[in-house]
Amino acid sequence: MERENRFWRVVLLVLPLSVFAVFVVWPLFSSFWYSFTDWNGFDPNYAFVGFDNFVRIWTDRLFYGAIVNTALWMVAAILLPTLLGLALALLLDRQIRGARIFKTIFYLPICLSAIVVGQIWTWIYQPDWGLLNAVISFVAGEPFTHAWLARPGSALWSVIVAWSWQQTGLSMVIYLAGLTAIPSDLLEVCDIEGASPWQRIRRVVVPLLIPSTIVVIALSVINSLKGFDILYIMTGGGPFHSSDTLAMHMYNESFKKYLMGYGSAISVVLFLIALVIIGFYFRQLKRLDEIYG
Amino acid sequence: MARVTLENIRKSFGSVEVIRDVSLDIERGEFMVFVGPSGCGKSTMLRLISGLEDVSGGAIRIGGRDVTGVAPSKRRLAMVFQSYALFPHLDVAGNIGFGLALARTPAAEIERRVRDVAERLGIADLLARMPRQLSGGERQRVAIGRAIIRDPEVFLFDEPLSNLDAALRVRMRLEIARLHKALDGVTMIYVTHDQTEAMTLADRIAVINQGRIEQVGTPMELYHHPANTFVAGFIGAPAMNFLDGSVDDSGAVTFAGITIMPRQPVSHRGRATIGVRPESLRLAGTGEADLVARLDHIEPLGAETLLHFDTPLTVRVNEAVPATEGDTLGLVVDRTRIHVFPP
Repeated sequence: MERENRFWRVVLLVLPLSVFAVFVVWPLFSSFWYSFTDWNGFDPNYAFVGFDNFVRIWTDRLFYGAIVNTALWMVAAILLPTLLGLALALLLDRQIRGARIFKTIFYLPICLSAIVVGQIWTWIYQPDWGLLNAVISFVAGEPFTHAWLARPGSALWSVIVAWSWQQTGLSMVIYLAGLTAIPSDLLEVCDIEGASPWQRIRRVVVPLLIPSTIVVIALSVINSLKGFDILYIMTGGGPFHSSDTLAMHMYNESFKKYLMGYGSAISVVLFLIALVIIGFYFRQLKRLDEIYG
Repeated sequence: MARVTLENIRKSFGSVEVIRDVSLDIERGEFMVFVGPSGCGKSTMLRLISGLEDVSGGAIRIGGRDVTGVAPSKRRLAMVFQSYALFPHLDVAGNIGFGLALARTPAAEIERRVRDVAERLGIADLLARMPRQLSGGERQRVAIGRAIIRDPEVFLFDEPLSNLDAALRVRMRLEIARLHKALDGVTMIYVTHDQTEAMTLADRIAVINQGRIEQVGTPMELYHHPANTFVAGFIGAPAMNFLDGSVDDSGAVTFAGITIMPRQPVSHRGRATIGVRPESLRLAGTGEADLVARLDHIEPLGAETLLHFDTPLTVRVNEAVPATEGDTLGLVVDRTRIHVFPP
């Protein structure tokens, strides 16, 4: 009986494990392997170059720019949707008129693909006839208009705004669910103890929303690490690499310059960074689980 | 140390009136228990006093001051919730000192007062623990500690023992009674559906039914002189027996085939409901039975035994019962202790 069970367990696991092996494990180890080669992506004849690609990373000025941009992108892409989502959830959780309509409106962008969001915001940022410059021109005058995606100083932040616009709805919905899960008697204790609205939010509501924050941040980390498509559509990493993130830099090196070995080395570094972040995240998760169950 | 006065309190949720014109004086330092079945409005009354709910009509005074419409935090009261309502992200010290921290009390004073309260409640060694790491009784003490530290004039307890097991409930009941004595002069209002808790803790009990106070009195007054069948049936365990009967013009009471002249004069005449406590009935000796009934079920409780008859009647006896289920037995009614209610 036990032997038969084991047989079926193995049989049923073969398919999912095969898919996982072909689409995750094999590409992962292939990347590791290619990162030690000078493969160009086409030529079957390539050479093992040891750590040359990783040494080259140290001297790659664009790589450092991409690291800084990735850090900015991740911090902003996590913080902005999280804070905005929390603020919206706190505003809309009360019995105010039209709350349901606002909830729907703020949630809608998450239903769109990043490509569509990128295209919409590219139009909004368009220097000559875009909505943003039209409004700025109307309110403050034409000298204050700006080529948002064409200037190195504003390109990355403009994409971050578009990204946050899309992601905030998701954070808001998760926080709204978290708010309904807060026991009402804990809030009543605040009333009896004389907590001001701000004390109530800071000392009780926000700490009690930590389980929701864990989910929001987990999704934000995952989404921001994957956040390649919106950058690709809106700036392609430009102008002058000013919005190059590691993912974008890796793509450019691998598929535009055909330096697949070097691109793989960058992907290995990105993988290690993600591993560190996720490791830290799980450590915090375990600690919080001990408090909140 | 404040007197609490409810003046013609009403509360409606939409078209449903849950508190109907309730007036009550709770003396300073008194332990008042609101008791009644689930949904009778007793917790709502407590919430109205606390200010967590607004009254639909009437006025509430605490210490002579009209607090109707005043914020809960300005009423000088503390509340202990059924669920304990401890903050899961704060340790025991943080929970007890929560109100002081909100009031921006200096950290050293918070620490001193928290330790003082914790020592009084016997939880000083738990101050660094998180609520998850505490037992039900310990959590209850922390909730009480958070209430005590505010030095309130009125304590409100909303079914604080309902989540505890039977043994712990008895122990905590005793501790709350001791606490009332220790906090000399603090008014306590306690909500429960458990009449044993009400009887053992209260200076006075208010029996509430369908949003109205049926009767207010000391536990013994309610037990021995219930105003109506609701109070008579609710106070006392097992519940009072009720039998159909009548009172004639001379005041003689007839029920279950017997006619007796009660020691206490009865004002009601005509058809009546006769109430007899289980301990006001005893097994009859030869030739003295007032009524006979078939024994349905025996409940031996150790110190006493409950006999359930098919009439239906429940009899409480202290001695061993020389009978088995199915026997027909004679019963004698204590004529000094029958209650007559309008039907």
